[in-house]
Parts: sequence; structure tokens; C-alpha cells
Amino acid sequence: MPTDPRALAYFAAGIGAGLTIMGGAAGIGRLAAAAMEGIARQPNAAGDIRGAMIVAAGLIEGVTFFSLIVTILLAIK
Amino acid sequence: MILGSFAALALLAAEPPAQGAAAHGAAEAAVSQPGPAEILMHHVVDARWGDLVIGPVNLGPTKHLLFFGVAAALVIVVIRLAMRSYQKGIPSGLGAAVEALIVFVRDDIAEKNIGHDGRKFTPLLLSFFFFILVAALFGLVPMPSYDSKTGHFSLAAVTSTGNIAVTLGLAFVSFLAQQWGGISKFGVARHFLGMVPPGMPKALLPIMIPVELIGMFTKPFALMIRLFANMLAGHMVVTTLLLLIPLMAAISTAFGIMMIPISLALGLFIMILEVLVAFIQAYIFTLLTAIFIGMYAHPAH
Repeated sequence: MPTDPRALAYFAAGIGAGLTIMGGAAGIGRLAAAAMEGIARQPNAAGDIRGAMIVAAGLIEGVTFFSLIVTILLAIK
Repeated sequence: MILGSFAALALLAAEPPAQGAAAHGAAEAAVSQPGPAEILMHHVVDARWGDLVIGPVNLGPTKHLLFFGVAAALVIVVIRLAMRSYQKGIPSGLGAAVEALIVFVRDDIAEKNIGHDGRKFTPLLLSFFFFILVAALFGLVPMPSYDSKTGHFSLAAVTSTGNIAVTLGLAFVSFLAQQWGGISKFGVARHFLGMVPPGMPKALLPIMIPVELIGMFTKPFALMIRLFANMLAGHMVVTTLLLLIPLMAAISTAFGIMMIPISLALGLFIMILEVLVAFIQAYIFTLLTAIFIGMYAHPAH
């Protein structure tokens, strides 16, 4: 187990990036699945559902990026 | 926008010295030749292009500040050109495209979320939308850049919204607009008193008041981080993919040549995605600002 703090920081940054994308992709995947199902049930609501899906995806990604910033800070400082 | 520019200016002045010192330290501690991380950061991080020291702040132009101004000027120029294309109230060409976007922002974003006072806030929301969009698209256009320290010409893409000071300025203006949404309708006292829902047991007040106060600040903070991280991450990915070519070439020239089509294809794909992300982020920033203004102008409770 390396004890040099910079090595640990890079290690943590890598794990952090992986966890970040796991959470983000899982959330957006569920969102997309629900949106697809909704459009399949009611094709004439497709426009509204698509708009709401994009907004929700943007918000979830916003949260993902919070943790991405922490990861980047670990990797470059 | 003027206020936002002031905020961004003040913070941009403070930012680069800290970043310059940190990057220099990291580069020194690592290797004498810049590694990939340093090259990457050098491309996306701000750089000072002139000095104008007034007291404790250095108000000199920096890369992001200049392109902030260029993006704002481009928005004004495009809108003026669109206005000129109106013949007898019917636009054509550029005017039609711009009008479609303007009507979209006015009807679907401003009026739907702020209600009947939506028209008052439409110019601000339009400014946000167009500025963020143009600034993001600017970040996809490579400009030739000359590094006077090493004497290298290179291509760099500059996204001014990829600087947290710029998005801080935008979020600050958004915060002021949200407070104005409430204060202009109800006056200062009722705006703050009305933040807590009325029909609520008094025992919950010590919880609700800090929650509402903190919520007042976290909303623009989230807007700031979302826009900044999206722009920064997107352009870092493009730069990294294209940076793989010289990196692989350093190992062996054959690898480098093999890498070229792969990197170009991936980079192109990510750039297309970035155009989409630019539109989406501009839309989300504007939409969330409108929703928050609506929340303060028409408290549902």
C-alpha cells in the first residue's frame, strides 16, 4: 500500500471517477428507461416526455459533476 | 449582465495567480518536461495576457476574460443582424432562426414558469441563454495560439464558461434576479417572511428557516457548478483524446500514426456531443433560473 500522499491521491481519484460514473449512469439509465416506456405507452406525449427527460438528465449530471470536480482536484493537486 | 461582468472581472483577477502558482509547483515537482496532465491543464486553464495592477488586484486581460468579451460582443452582433433582417415585421434567414429561439425562451421558459410577469424577466433569460450557448460553442472552435515562453504555435480552444469565476458571475446575477423576482412583487420584508410556508406548526420554524435560507444560496451554487463542470469536463475530454496522438507518438512513431484516425474519430464524436451539451446546458441554466424566479414570485404555498 503506497503511503506517499500524492500516490494515494491519484489512487483515490481513479476510484472516485469510477464510483461517480457508476452512480450517474445508473440514475440516467433508469430515467431513460422510464422515459422510453412512457413514450411507448403514449406516443403523442413524446415531446413533453422528451423535454422532461432532458431536464432531469441535466440535473442528475449536475450532481455527478460535483463529485467529478472533487476527483479532478485530487488528481491535479 | 453588467453586474455579472463586474463579478466575473473581480474574480478572474484573483483566480489566475493562484492557479499559475499551483500549476508551476506541480510541474516542478513532477518532471522537468511537461507531462500530459500539465499540457492538458495548460490548455483548459486561464492564462494572463497582460498586466494592469490596481492596488491589490491585477485587472489585466486574461484568456477567458477576452473570450468572455468576444462571446458577448458576438451575441450582440448576431442579434443586431437578426433585427436588421426584419422586413415589415417578417424576419428572414438569421432573423427567423433567432426569433424561433427567442419565442421558445419567452413562451416555454419565461411564461410557463414565471407566469404573467414572465415578460419582465425575458430579456435577462434571453441574455443567459444566448451568452452561455455562444460561449460554449466558442470553446469548440480551435484558435491558433502562440506560447511566448516556449515559442510554440498550437491550436487551443477557449471556453470562457469553463472558468469558475465566469460561472460565478452568471450565478450571482441569477441569484439577484431570483431575489428581485420576490422583492419586486412583495417588498423585502414579505419576500423573506413568505419563504416559509404559512400553514405550518410553529415547532418546525427553527428547521424551516435555515433550510430555506440555505436553499436560497445552494440553488445558484448548483447552477454555477453544473455549468462550469459541464464545460470544463467536455473540453478536457476533447483535448485529452486529441492529446493521445503525440503521447502515443512519443512511445513510437508507428503508434502515433495509428492513433491519428482513432483520436480524430473519437474527438469528432465528442465534439458533436459537446454541441448538444452546449444547447442543453444553456437551456437548463435558463430554465432553472426561470423556475427559481417563479418560485419566489409566486410562492405556491
